[in-house]
Amino acid sequence: MTNRAQDIIVGTVLFLVGAGWTWLVIDSIPPGFGDGEVGPRAFPMAFGLILTVFSAILLMTRIATGAETALAEASEDQDIPNRLDWGSALLVLGQIVLYGFLLEKIGFLLATPVVVLLVMIVSLRVRSLRKLLGMSLGLTVGCWLIFEKLLGIYLANGTWLNVG
Amino acid sequence: MDVFLQALALSFTPMAIASIGLGALVGLVFGSIPGLTFTVALALALPITFSMDPVPAIGLLLGTYIGGMTGGSVSAILLGIPGTPSAAATVLDGYPMTKQGKASIALGTAVIVSVFGGLFSLFIMMVSVDLVSRLAIGFGPAEIFALVLFGMSTICGLCGNSLLKGLIAGALGLMIMTVGLDAIDGVPRMTFGSINLLQGVNLLVAMIGLFAVPFIIEAFSGRGSQDLQTTRVAKVRAELPSLKLLFGKFSLMLRCSVLGTGIGAIPGTGGAIASFLAYDHAKRFSKKPESFGKGNIEGVIAPEAANNSVTGGTLIPLLSLGIPGDPATAIVLAGLMIHGITPGPALFMNHAVEVYGMYVAVVLAYVWVLGLQLMGIRIFVHVLKIPREMLAVAVLVLCAIGAYSIRNSAFDIYAMGAIGVLAYVLVAVRIPITPIILGMVLGPTLENEFRTAMMLSEGSFDIFLTSPTFLVFFALALLVVSLQVAAELKLKKKTSERIEMTDA
Repeated sequence: MTNRAQDIIVGTVLFLVGAGWTWLVIDSIPPGFGDGEVGPRAFPMAFGLILTVFSAILLMTRIATGAETALAEASEDQDIPNRLDWGSALLVLGQIVLYGFLLEKIGFLLATPVVVLLVMIVSLRVRSLRKLLGMSLGLTVGCWLIFEKLLGIYLANGTWLNVG
Repeated sequence: MDVFLQALALSFTPMAIASIGLGALVGLVFGSIPGLTFTVALALALPITFSMDPVPAIGLLLGTYIGGMTGGSVSAILLGIPGTPSAAATVLDGYPMTKQGKASIALGTAVIVSVFGGLFSLFIMMVSVDLVSRLAIGFGPAEIFALVLFGMSTICGLCGNSLLKGLIAGALGLMIMTVGLDAIDGVPRMTFGSINLLQGVNLLVAMIGLFAVPFIIEAFSGRGSQDLQTTRVAKVRAELPSLKLLFGKFSLMLRCSVLGTGIGAIPGTGGAIASFLAYDHAKRFSKKPESFGKGNIEGVIAPEAANNSVTGGTLIPLLSLGIPGDPATAIVLAGLMIHGITPGPALFMNHAVEVYGMYVAVVLAYVWVLGLQLMGIRIFVHVLKIPREMLAVAVLVLCAIGAYSIRNSAFDIYAMGAIGVLAYVLVAVRIPITPIILGMVLGPTLENEFRTAMMLSEGSFDIFLTSPTFLVFFALALLVVSLQVAAELKLKKKTSERIEMTDA
């Protein structure tokens, strides 16, 4: 995918986001009462419109310049765009969500080694037992000592199960 | 004088000194590791400061900022990879010096000029914050609105490589902050009936997500990892440059520090731009311009003096007007607000002691940086050998602790994850993150000041049009945007090499 194609997709998505946002704002937020009262609706609506207009400009300029450069056959569009690794991104999101869920249910001291082990085995493909145990226990105990004991920051206690 | 003594007493407590030192250490480590910037360090350090007193808390943040700005030069000189974008210009001559076996002197000089640049900019900052806030004390809502608008326009225009994408990012940041209860009328906006969304998207949660999560994803996807383990880090120590050398280059250091402070004071710029301009300046005024890029010590002095003097420069608009110029200062701003210190013209009246305490903290941070770099460099280069993925696992845990500790709610961890993935996608499609974060920081001010102004004037735009300050700032905002448009149209014909210009 070229930079141009990527920009066209980004422009389209943001245009739709902006338009959808503006519509939702108009639909759900009451306007001001007039007489100098700007009201809660004006700013979200204005920001939504700004996004819509700018992404439309992005979309149009990219379509237009694309046609020119196709003829010239040399431009910045030839750059290799950054590759998006959706798999890793969604995996990390899943791990973060799981971590948050486990923190509430079984508390920091149990959730952390579980998630660290999972991350290292699934995402990093670490198989060395020493590394796995060292990282999961080291991080858990280290963070617990520094945050909970030294700095007095509350780390989650579990609602299902509670240690420490 | 009384206030100053009080500030000294506040910042020379063991707690304050230790937290500034911790900040400097964390900043140096994060700054020197490529991919982990001091912005990430700041976002992770912020939740730790909640339970502290104001001066140690701000000291921790400032120490991290300053340490990070200095730490970037270590990997730039030793490995040829800038630890932060601000140190990119240092690579040009620093790395050749390492190849010639002069790494120790390059590192030592870099530390000394960094400290010089930083302290110089602190001095300029102390004078100008006072002056600017005296000027700004008469600002009403209309003027503040114009000021924020001007800040936003320079940020959107200067921090990326496309004005359009900068503006799009700025609009996204502004939109995110309108979610939740409206501050003036108390109307829920875009909450879709969710109770968690009523108090809006938490700024700190968003910051952790925006800066730390993309690093984790990139480290896990196995890309962008420069094989640090295979690069042998030579045995080094930091060797102090001779006084003769320093005096010989004093005028260059001074000029670059002035340049750095000036650039830093313009919102939306930052260390990378300042250090490249300083490098260029040094090369142009050098007697031997041909030796640049081949290990000329001036090529290390210029960018390092400039990027550290940016730290003082960025604090000028932050403290006197409440406008942060880059993500790092936006996080410092958040830290100030958590402790009830609202930057702006009234800062000196309400919090003079804390402000002087901050000045002392900056000096202490430089003392720590100097000590840590000179003494600890031998231990500290080993940090560069830790694999990126292992660091990312630790960052993941720290992110969760940080996001959770803000409101003790797992919802914030989910929100952080979602915002982080969004940030990763936006970076990949070349939409800059800096305008988003600054839109989020400045958005509520922008809206509240405008609405207050309109209420005061009972719906008439005269309150804006009759204020000379408003007109000046509005004209400046238009000027910045139109200059940027003109420059981009000109550039369109040429292909240009891109340099990443933010520390995000």
